[in-house]
Amino acid sequence: MTKTRIPQAAGLVLVLFFAVFPFIYTANDYPYIMHLLIASFFYAILASSWSMLSGYAGQFSFGHMGFMGVGAYTTALFSHYFYLSPVPTEFCTEFLIGGQYLVIVDPIGVTSSTLTQDCLRKALSMWDDSVQITPMPVWLGIMLGTLMGGLFGLVIGLLVLPLRAAYLALFTLGFSEILRAAISAEISITRGQAGIELPYLFDAGITLFGIHYDKTDKLPPYFIMLFLLLFCLAIMVWLTKSKFGLFVRALREDQDAAAALGVNTTRYKLLVFVLTSMIAAAAGAVMAHYIRIITPNNLMILQMSLVVAMAVIGGVENVVAAAIGAIMINFALELLRDSFQIGPLMVDMTVWRLVVFGVLLMVTLRFFRNGLIAPLIDYFTRGHVAAETVAKRRAATDEMDKAGEAESPS
Amino acid sequence: MEFPHIFWAVLGWMIFWAVVGRFAIRRAYLRRDLDTSNAPFVGAMLGAATGPFGLVPLYMNTPTITTRLMVAPALASVGMLMIAFGFADPDNFCVSNGSFVASQIVNGLIIGIIYGFMALGLTLIFSILGVVSFAHGEFYMIGGMITYFLTAVWFPGMNPVIAITIACLSAFALGALFERMFLTPMYEGKVDRPVEYGILVTFGLAFTIQYFVQATAGANPFKAARYFDFPRIRLPSADDPWLIKTSRGNMELFDTVSISNPRFTAAVMCIIVFGLLLLFLHRTWQGKALRAVSQDREAAAIAGINPDRMNMLAFALGGMIAALAGAMLVQAFSWLPQVGAIPAMRSFVILVLGGLGSIPGAFVGGVIVGLFEAAGTGCLPDAQKAASYIPAYGMIILTLTLLLRPTGLFGRRFASGAHGKF
Repeated sequence: MTKTRIPQAAGLVLVLFFAVFPFIYTANDYPYIMHLLIASFFYAILASSWSMLSGYAGQFSFGHMGFMGVGAYTTALFSHYFYLSPVPTEFCTEFLIGGQYLVIVDPIGVTSSTLTQDCLRKALSMWDDSVQITPMPVWLGIMLGTLMGGLFGLVIGLLVLPLRAAYLALFTLGFSEILRAAISAEISITRGQAGIELPYLFDAGITLFGIHYDKTDKLPPYFIMLFLLLFCLAIMVWLTKSKFGLFVRALREDQDAAAALGVNTTRYKLLVFVLTSMIAAAAGAVMAHYIRIITPNNLMILQMSLVVAMAVIGGVENVVAAAIGAIMINFALELLRDSFQIGPLMVDMTVWRLVVFGVLLMVTLRFFRNGLIAPLIDYFTRGHVAAETVAKRRAATDEMDKAGEAESPS
Repeated sequence: MEFPHIFWAVLGWMIFWAVVGRFAIRRAYLRRDLDTSNAPFVGAMLGAATGPFGLVPLYMNTPTITTRLMVAPALASVGMLMIAFGFADPDNFCVSNGSFVASQIVNGLIIGIIYGFMALGLTLIFSILGVVSFAHGEFYMIGGMITYFLTAVWFPGMNPVIAITIACLSAFALGALFERMFLTPMYEGKVDRPVEYGILVTFGLAFTIQYFVQATAGANPFKAARYFDFPRIRLPSADDPWLIKTSRGNMELFDTVSISNPRFTAAVMCIIVFGLLLLFLHRTWQGKALRAVSQDREAAAIAGINPDRMNMLAFALGGMIAALAGAMLVQAFSWLPQVGAIPAMRSFVILVLGGLGSIPGAFVGGVIVGLFEAAGTGCLPDAQKAASYIPAYGMIILTLTLLLRPTGLFGRRFASGAHGKF
């Protein structure tokens, strides 16, 4: 095995490890570790797609959490307001679709006294449980969320076409803040700060290979998140290796030069915006179904900064490195939670860990511009290239020197 | 209170023609090979104000765009919106109650001046370094924190003026140190994309400072005592004080407008320091050098100015201005480690609205944002909704500015360095 294969082999080992981990790990903190891993995969998806958008395509966006929120809120609202019923409720807006009635529940605010008073609950109490209504399938909501994320990505991508660098960052920050304000303000629909609840990923549980998993089991969401991560990474790595990646990098380095050389800059900018926002939205939708509540605070700038920092520390120009960085940082942040005591001084690590994290971010930016993981991968994959180049150059200069010596009359 | 449909219809009509105007007018100017930099703005505003009646002549004639042609449609469309609002909701306080409107305007002005002052620091940094400092809000926060701890915890009874001076100096030192340690690779060409690097590294600074303060000072809100009391004034006479009436913490003008002491002091202080800063920038060698670097870095270097020194000065000065704003406002708001986020967002808005590194632009932009916010919070019929939308008002201005006129109000069209590009 050559040295260049080491990153691939390591990646394969890592994937295999994550695939068998839930079956071999049996310690007491199993649910906690599993939850941590699911959250890590979630952040890994966000960080890698952000690095694709910002590091690879140079579209420095602060709206990634906004797209995540679009996905999560779409599936949340979809599962919250749409139901199928075999009989008309007579109270709600409803349409007859293939023998079933599609019921659209009316939005009614957040106060607990009105919780049971929307039109569908009214109808249910009149029927006395004689009619079985079906909620919408979860996968449909996730698909819709993903599509909606893509749609928002398209619109935002169109709007930011003429903007660059700092202006793009400020515009996307504005988008994210407006979205957050709108979600917190429209209480009657989104329930504002109280957050909106979602059904389980598998409400009836799921049977895999003869073993029944309860709806609260961590294993099915773990594998869904892992597959989503691997799928997204595969798409992004494939794209970066293809012509698309080349064009997008040209766009990052110099947009005008790329356009002059025949790259359709508008198209590729939009494509990369739509793609990454769809990925973020899909991750948000799945995660929302897993944690089962989504609030506007999930869209906060702090969350965004976490994703940005993870991508930067991993390596902002390499999607895989960003994903690994995110998983590692998420774990490190959890492990650093334990407070300790130096003499009389109690160090509350729950806050200090974030200070450490901030310093790490600054130092990484200042001294390791490609992040901490990406150079490691590069060392193995491209290290020999650099060594060869240096050797060739040295040989060439040596030869020239010799030739020069031979020519020059001594 | 629900708006009648007519209001939404008017709003829809205005937005539709604004969008049509933005694209159509730009195309018309482009076709005649004229300067298109202001065409989208004029097109959108005229479209919003007059609909097709103004757009068609503009499209046919494509006159040279003057300042008057830009300002008049903008004011007209704002007027249109106000009239529509007035007809839609005649019982609203904003329409029926004059004294409410007056006090909203005065409060908007005061908070706008403070915002403008905050943004001034950011503008200074942006015009010279070409970096949007995401740590601006954190400088504001530590300014307030240091002042509070000096006057209330470490040396109770300390003169607030001394405390504010110390806070400003610490922020200045922190800014200078940070600039030397982390921003220098930007100008040496060691970073591929300096603007993004600047954003990220100041972001890291913001993160670090915020949690450092939270770890050391805790997450409980503080509020400093009033720095000084108003003297007791009753004008025109003690028993009929309709003109002005003050108590120690409050001032009432014309029996209608009430201004709280901390905000008033902060605003007055901001105006004074703004004046001093203008003097500094226009009368001293250092200030002139700063402006020279912001206009043309290379030419300034040829003239014997060390641009690196100016970078440090600008970043430190910008941080100090933010800290001063924070030190003045710690007596008005309760102070948390996270308090910097809101004014930082406002500063971004004002930075863009005022125009690339324009100092008067920052001030005018601040006042506009303050008034817009006062109008938004005061006039929306559902008070809770209006309050929840507060973070969005500024951002709406920001996005509109970037879409219609990215150079902002007073932006130079051609600037040197990274900040000249969009």
